[in-house]
Amino acid sequence: MLERARAVAGWFYRRCENLAAVMIGVMFAAFLLQILFRYGLQWPTGWSNELTVVMWIWVVLFGAAFVVREEEEIRFDLVYGAVPYRVRRVMILASAVALITLYGYSLPAVFDYVTFMKVQKTAYLKIRFDWLFAIYVIFVVAVIARYLWLGWHALRREDVSEPDPTKASSGI
Amino acid sequence: MMIFLDPFTMALISICILSLLGLPIGHAMIGSSILYLWLAGLDMGTAAEQILNGLYTSYLLLAVPMFILAAEVMNAGTMTYRLLHFCNAVVGRFRGGLAQVNVLQSLIFAGMSGSAIADAAGTGKMMQQLMTKDDKYPASYAAALTATTAVLAPILPPSIPLVIYALVSDASVGFLFLAGIVPGVMMALAQMSIVAIDARRKNFPVEEPVPLRKLPGLTLRAFPALMLPVVLLVGIRGGVMTPTEAAAVAAGYALLISVAIYRSVTIRQFYRALLNSGRTTASIGMLLAGAMVFNYVITVEDIPHSLSELLLAWDLSPIQFLLIVNVLLLALGCLLEGTTILLVMVPVLIPTAQALGIDMVHFGVVVVLNIMLGLITPPYGLLLFIMTRIAEVPLAHIVRDVLPFLLAMFAALAVVTFVPDVVLWLPRVFGYSG
Amino acid sequence: QDKPKLRFSAVFSEQDIRAEMMTLFSSMIADDFTFEGYYGGNLFKQGTELVALQRNNLEMGNIAPQDISNQIPAWSILTAGYLFRDAAHLKAFFASEAGAEMKQMTEDQLGVKVLGPTYFGVRQVGLRVDKEIRTPADMAGIKLRMPGGDAWQFLGEALGANPTPMAYAEVYTGLQTGAIDGQDNPLPNVENMKFYEVMSQIVLTSHLVGFDLLTVSKTVWDGMDADQQARFQEAADAAIDFSTERHLERETELAEQFKSVGLKVYEPDVAAFRTHVQEKYLASDLAASWPEGMLEKINAL
Ligand code: NA
Ligand code: NA
Repeated sequence: MLERARAVAGWFYRRCENLAAVMIGVMFAAFLLQILFRYGLQWPTGWSNELTVVMWIWVVLFGAAFVVREEEEIRFDLVYGAVPYRVRRVMILASAVALITLYGYSLPAVFDYVTFMKVQKTAYLKIRFDWLFAIYVIFVVAVIARYLWLGWHALRREDVSEPDPTKASSGI
Repeated sequence: MMIFLDPFTMALISICILSLLGLPIGHAMIGSSILYLWLAGLDMGTAAEQILNGLYTSYLLLAVPMFILAAEVMNAGTMTYRLLHFCNAVVGRFRGGLAQVNVLQSLIFAGMSGSAIADAAGTGKMMQQLMTKDDKYPASYAAALTATTAVLAPILPPSIPLVIYALVSDASVGFLFLAGIVPGVMMALAQMSIVAIDARRKNFPVEEPVPLRKLPGLTLRAFPALMLPVVLLVGIRGGVMTPTEAAAVAAGYALLISVAIYRSVTIRQFYRALLNSGRTTASIGMLLAGAMVFNYVITVEDIPHSLSELLLAWDLSPIQFLLIVNVLLLALGCLLEGTTILLVMVPVLIPTAQALGIDMVHFGVVVVLNIMLGLITPPYGLLLFIMTRIAEVPLAHIVRDVLPFLLAMFAALAVVTFVPDVVLWLPRVFGYSG
Repeated sequence: QDKPKLRFSAVFSEQDIRAEMMTLFSSMIADDFTFEGYYGGNLFKQGTELVALQRNNLEMGNIAPQDISNQIPAWSILTAGYLFRDAAHLKAFFASEAGAEMKQMTEDQLGVKVLGPTYFGVRQVGLRVDKEIRTPADMAGIKLRMPGGDAWQFLGEALGANPTPMAYAEVYTGLQTGAIDGQDNPLPNVENMKFYEVMSQIVLTSHLVGFDLLTVSKTVWDGMDADQQARFQEAADAAIDFSTERHLERETELAEQFKSVGLKVYEPDVAAFRTHVQEKYLASDLAASWPEGMLEKINAL
């Protein structure tokens, strides 16, 4: 049973990775097309510009929700990395409770904002903003779920990976 | 009995506590901003509003995933390897040849990549192996040198930190990129000088000289890669593309020559490059998102203006202010991750810098140089950590060997800080009126 | 007790004439409200202020008519080229019955009260190339930078040019390097962004009277009694008149200043441009959402 759940989760994770890679790929292609259209064909495009921005919002929030692993997160690990696991467990638990409370409490207002945005459309692709911005609601729900899971693991004293600053990349 | 402080103080305390607890910094900032909105009785939907519109309107930032992609593609193919051969042919013949190769290679790589981490993890890894093979160089020395040379990547264009600075300061990316060139080359020369002195003192080995008749062939093979910085700069300055598009062109160019000329990048490798770019983009994106909503809080509280008034009341001269900024950023760099400093601290300092008449392009290079040096400043230096991992030597040994380089880099920082002309000369040649 | 807060957000900077306008306005309503001005798009990004007003996260804003037409298509008529002749025509329209009709739409559909149009100059074509421009036909092949979005690109095309979208911050470099041949902005912007340094001529096409709308949320408006409302509107009118006057002076000054630094500044056959552009609009989909008879009413004013 547990085996199966792990297999399903692994499959799901790889599909999320596929999606993130595709989003970057679409961005990349749209940029190249944009330059080609403008200078090769003297044909300025607005839609490609908009497509890249749409991909950017989605890859950030989707990626943060489903693709970035715990050890890849950028955190202040001077203390977190130095304490023994039993202390870290308490720290994880405390921060999970705080984050779930804050994100959870903001969820109705966030949902209200995102659905309000149905009144506007993007300039070229005419995407309704509530659809475009829906990724934020998904992001909040996924983060809450992730921290429920992390908190639960910490509570059950299950081992979690050691923090590793070299795996967190901020691109600098 | 609980004492309630004002919402802003509570939010600050919350950020500190949540970060200390090890929560990712982006979440700590978003969560604490939500706390602020909650306590101040404001609409909590503003958290979503600021993040979504912030991401939607910061077109400049789209350069970030593309620059990461470019570096990933170059590291995936044999492009960097060919550059090493070329560098070896040029400077390998001198005493301490491989160490000089390490500097030269980083200088060239810096012209194509905007990330110090990508340099250390890509060519840095190769250099470490080459330098320590047959015990040619002490592993800790090689690691210290690799970390120091990697710092060049974001100083020379293209540069991810300079793009982020452009976002928070409204300074022109094109001119910022030009402004980094002279300081970057100056730093590389300083590194080469130290290597030359060490080479004589410690009697470092000489590489077998590559016959001069082979040089044209090696140059020809490295040529397409060497042309990338030229393509980027000419493209941006010539108005063919915006700096954001240039980032995609860099990735496209790297992919094209890797596939068509070097025949080295497979579909599988390209997929990994896309995915890694997506991963890194998402983790930087969280910092950006956190900074965007926290910036709303700071604006509502009018913090940058209050700080500016406070600092101006001290009657600081621009030089004194820059000195304080250097000390502050270097101190923070010992503790915090660089992008966080750039996104949270720098916007607060900018109004004061402007009021003191400090040029925004100059300020940008000073700030980014500080943050880069923070990567090799102990105790918390990301590049030092990465090299500890790659070289498998204790951090303390790398720290010992990095110190002379660090001192030289501080000297370079002093020059860049106090002689603005070093930074602004090149942009002015290209029409910058600051 | 505390006076209610009026949070105001705008994209223009603290040094702008319109920031002075807001200072004047805030001093006139100081008895009723505490004014908090946020400039440079620091609180809400450009184009997002309207939703902030609608959601009561902001009490006042300086809203572009393009943003209103995004939610009320009928408003797109007010974003068309060669609609208003000048600042006086603009003011007359918003004071007229037809203007009241348009303003009522924003109150009913968006919950936002329009206090009046904040004029910021007439858009003029500025070119780096030397070619003399008389009629739209002379604009053929000229890469004219226009703001992003269908409506702006359409206007560029209607002027006879080859419109190119480009970020505002890139325009200077674009002109310098020849990536674009020209741009269209009011003269004060040309001065602010130093475009005149990289242009050789300004063609006074006067193709669009630039304005935003000083607005207040209905929640605040309805919370005032009739007296307060009258004082509030009076303050807005006075502040707007002050700002309009200052802008007009500045435009005259700048035209002279640009001439004195060697730019050619001249009027083309504006009537030819007007006819050409209005015909293009009427033949397009854009005019489909315009209220019946509105164009005639505006032209007749
Ligand atoms: Na190196
Ligand atoms: Na670089």
